[in-house]
Amino acid sequence: MTVLRPETQYATLAQQGEAAQLGMWAFLATEVLFFGGLIFTYFIYRAAYPADFANAARDTELWCGSVNAALLVTSSLSMVLAIEAAAMGRQRAVLFWLGITAVLGIAFLAIKGYEYAADYRHQLVPALNFLLKPGYRPPGELFWIFYFTATGLHAIHLTIGVALVLLMLVRARIGTIGPLYYAPLEVVGLYWSFVDIVWLFLFPALYLPGRG
Amino acid sequence: MTAVAIDLPATYLTERQTVGSWLLTRDHKRIALLFFASITFFFFIGGFAATLIRLHLVTPQGGLLQPDIYNRMFTIHGIVMVWFFLIPAIPTTLGNFLVPLMIGAHDLAFPRLNLASWYVFNLSGVLLLYMLLMGGVDTGWTFYTPFSTAYANGYVTAAAVTVFINGFSTIMTALNFVVTIHRLRAPGMYWSRLPLFIWAIYATSLVMLLATPVLAMTLLLIGLERLMGVGIFDPALGGDPLLFQHMFWFYSHPAVYIMILPAMGLVSEIVACFARKPIFGYTGMTYALLAIAVISFLVWGHHMFTAGISLFSGIVFSLMSFLVAVPSAIKVFNWTATLHKGSIAFDAPMLYALGFVGLFTMGGLTGLMVATLALDVHLTDTYFVIAHFHYIMVGGAVSAYFGGLHYWWPKITGRLYPEIWARAAAILMFLGFNLTFFPQFILGYLGMPRRYYAYAPELQVWNVLSSAGASILAIAYLMPLVYLTWSLLRGRHASPNPWLATGLEWQTSSPPPKENFARTPNVTTEPYHYDPETGACIAQNGTACA
Amino acid sequence: MLVYVIGWLVLLVLLGLEIGSAFLHLGALGPAVQFCIAATQAAIVFILFMRLRGRASLKWIFAGAGFFWLLLLYGLSATDYATRLGFPTQP
Repeated sequence: MTVLRPETQYATLAQQGEAAQLGMWAFLATEVLFFGGLIFTYFIYRAAYPADFANAARDTELWCGSVNAALLVTSSLSMVLAIEAAAMGRQRAVLFWLGITAVLGIAFLAIKGYEYAADYRHQLVPALNFLLKPGYRPPGELFWIFYFTATGLHAIHLTIGVALVLLMLVRARIGTIGPLYYAPLEVVGLYWSFVDIVWLFLFPALYLPGRG
Repeated sequence: MTAVAIDLPATYLTERQTVGSWLLTRDHKRIALLFFASITFFFFIGGFAATLIRLHLVTPQGGLLQPDIYNRMFTIHGIVMVWFFLIPAIPTTLGNFLVPLMIGAHDLAFPRLNLASWYVFNLSGVLLLYMLLMGGVDTGWTFYTPFSTAYANGYVTAAAVTVFINGFSTIMTALNFVVTIHRLRAPGMYWSRLPLFIWAIYATSLVMLLATPVLAMTLLLIGLERLMGVGIFDPALGGDPLLFQHMFWFYSHPAVYIMILPAMGLVSEIVACFARKPIFGYTGMTYALLAIAVISFLVWGHHMFTAGISLFSGIVFSLMSFLVAVPSAIKVFNWTATLHKGSIAFDAPMLYALGFVGLFTMGGLTGLMVATLALDVHLTDTYFVIAHFHYIMVGGAVSAYFGGLHYWWPKITGRLYPEIWARAAAILMFLGFNLTFFPQFILGYLGMPRRYYAYAPELQVWNVLSSAGASILAIAYLMPLVYLTWSLLRGRHASPNPWLATGLEWQTSSPPPKENFARTPNVTTEPYHYDPETGACIAQNGTACA
Repeated sequence: MLVYVIGWLVLLVLLGLEIGSAFLHLGALGPAVQFCIAATQAAIVFILFMRLRGRASLKWIFAGAGFFWLLLLYGLSATDYATRLGFPTQP
C-alpha cells in the first residue's frame, strides 16, 4: 500500500484535497460562462423568432432527449454513491458505482449518436444536409445550428467525463484512491454532475418548445 | 579568475541544470523564466509588425506595404500584442515568480497545471506562427463578422483556434493564482496584510476566469461559421452580426483590465519602496482593484456606440464607462499621496513607475473623452482611440512591466543591473513613447481613420513625428535586452534585499532556493512598513529589512 | 445515503412534470415554467449531489459567481436588444 504524502507546498493531504476541490469549482465557473455564452445566443434568437424556434424544436427526437436526461440524472446518483463508498473505505462498492456511472455515460453517447443519425436522415443538419422545409423560415436553421453546437460540445464534455471516470476506476483498483485520500474522485464527481446540469438546461431549451 | 572551490548554497537556478529539468520543471520560478522567454519572443514579433506599420505610414500614399499586407500587419500586431504579450506578460512572468514568495508559500497550488499552461501557450504560439507563415489574417484583431466569417481572405479559422487555445493557458494560470491565494498563504498572512501586487493578481485572475470562456465560445462560433459556411451571426438566416460584437467585447473589454491591473499592482510595490512610505490608503487601493475588476464587465458597449446598438443602451454603457474611471482615479490619487513627503529615490524601477502614473492618467482621461457619446461619434475608429489605448497599454502596462523586471531582477537572477544604463533607457522610453503617440491624438482629432493604409497628405507631419518617436522607442526597448543580458554575465552579485524592501520575497536569498524558504515564514506585520520619520523598515516577517 | 436516492427520485419526478408541461397549452408561460423546473433540478444537483450543503461559503461564491456574471451579460445586452429598432430582422 503506497504511503500518500502531500505535495511540498501543502501541509496536509486534507489541505491538498480542499485546494483541488476549490480548483474544480473555479473551473466549473468558467464552464458556466462558456455554455452560458452559447445559451445567451439561444435566448436572443428565441425571443426574436419564437414561432420559428418552436417550429424547429418540434422536429427533435423527444424520447432521445428525455431518456438521456434520466440517464444523466441517474449517473449523478451513482457518482455520489461512489464517493460515499470511497469515504467509507468500501473498495468494491467504489468500483461498482464508478462502473455504473461510466456505463450510463456511454449509453447517453450511444443514444446521441443514434439521434444525430436520425437528424441527418431528416435533413436537419445545417451545412451538411439541411433542407428548409415548407412552412420553415430561415431562422429555423439558427435553431439547428445552436442545437448541434450545444449538444456537440456537451457530448465532448461527457466523453471527457467518461474517460475521467474510467481513470478513477483504475486508480481505485490499484489503490491510490482510498478512504485516506479520495479528493480526485470528488473532483471528477463535481465535473460529472456539472455536465449533468448543463443537459438539464439544454433539454427544455431544445426538446420542449412547440409541443403544446 | 582563479577557480576557487566555494560551496555556494543551491538556488533554484543551480539546482539541476539539464534541459529536461527545465522543460519538466514544477518550480514556479523556473516556469516564470520559461514564460519570460516566450513572452519576449512574441513581444519582438509584435514590435516588428509595428515597425513595418510606422515605416509604411511615413508617406501619405504608403508604398512600403501593399494594402492587403498592411491589413495583415495591423491584425498581427494586435493579435500578438494582446494575447501573446500584454495579457500574459506580468501574470506569467512576475506573477508566477512572485506570488508564492510574497505570500510565504513553497509553490503554487497546482505546479503541474502551471507547467501545462506554458506548453498550451506555446502550442497556440506555434499555431500563430504557422498562420503567419501561411499569409496571416486581415480582419483586425477584433474579427468582426460578417467580414471574418464570409468575406475575408486569410486564415481566420486558424487565428480563431490559436486564440482559443491561448485562452486555455490564461484560464489555467488564473485558476492557479486564485486557489493559491485562498489556500496557501503563510500563517499570519491575512487578506489585510497581502501586498497590493497579490491583490492585483487576484483581481486579474477573477477577470480572466470570468471573461475568457465567453471569448472561447465567440471564437468557436465564428470558427464554425467560417468553416461550415453557415452560422448564427449570418443575417441571411436572421442572425445578428452585432451579437458577435456583444460577445466579443464582453470579454475584450475586461481583457484590457487584465492587462492593466497587474501593472497597477507593480506600481504600488515600487512606489512604496522608493518613496520609503507606506502606500496611502491601502484599503481603498484593494477595494479599487476589485471595483475595477467588477465594473470592467459593465462597459463593453462603448466599443459599439456607432455600430448600431440602440441609443438607450449606448447611454447605459457610457454611464458605466464613466463609473469605471472612479476607482482608477482613486488609485492615481493614492500613488500621488504616497509620494507626498516621501524620500524619493529615482532608481530605474521608480522612473518606470512614475512614468506609468503620468501616462496612465493621460490615457485614462482620454478614455473619458471617447466614453462620451457625442465625442465618440467623431473620435471612434480614428487615431485618437489608438493613442488612448496605447497610452494605457504601452505607456502604462509596458512601463510597469519594465519597472517590475528591473525591481525584481536582483531577486530573480542574483545580479544587479547597471543603474546608469537602466535610467537612460527608462527616460528614453518615456520620451520616445510620447513622441510616438501624442501626435496620434492630434491625428485622430483631425480625422485620420485607423486601419487605413493611406492618409490625407496634410497629415504627414504628425505621422513623421510619430514614426520618429517609434524609432526612439525601439532603441529604448532594445537597450535592456543588451544590458540585462550583460548583467547576467558580469553584473555584481545581489544581496537578499538590495532595495531594503518589506516584502517576504526579500527575506530569502537572491536568487531564492528551490523551496523558496528554508522554513515557512510567520507573518506579523502589515505590508510597506516604512517609517518616513525614522527611515526604519520592518519586513512582513517582523524582522528589520536588511 | 438515502437522501441521495430521494433526491434522485425528486429529479425524475421534476423531469416528468417538465415534459408534461410542454404538452399543456401554457403559451408564453410554458418556457418560464420549464426554466424554473430546470433551475430547481440544477439547485438539487448543486446542493445535494455536488455536496454544497453545509460547505464553507467560498464554494458557494464560486458556484454562484458564474451564474451571476451571466446575468450581467444577459442583462446589459438586453438593454440593446430590447430597445433596438432594427432587430429582429425579417429575412
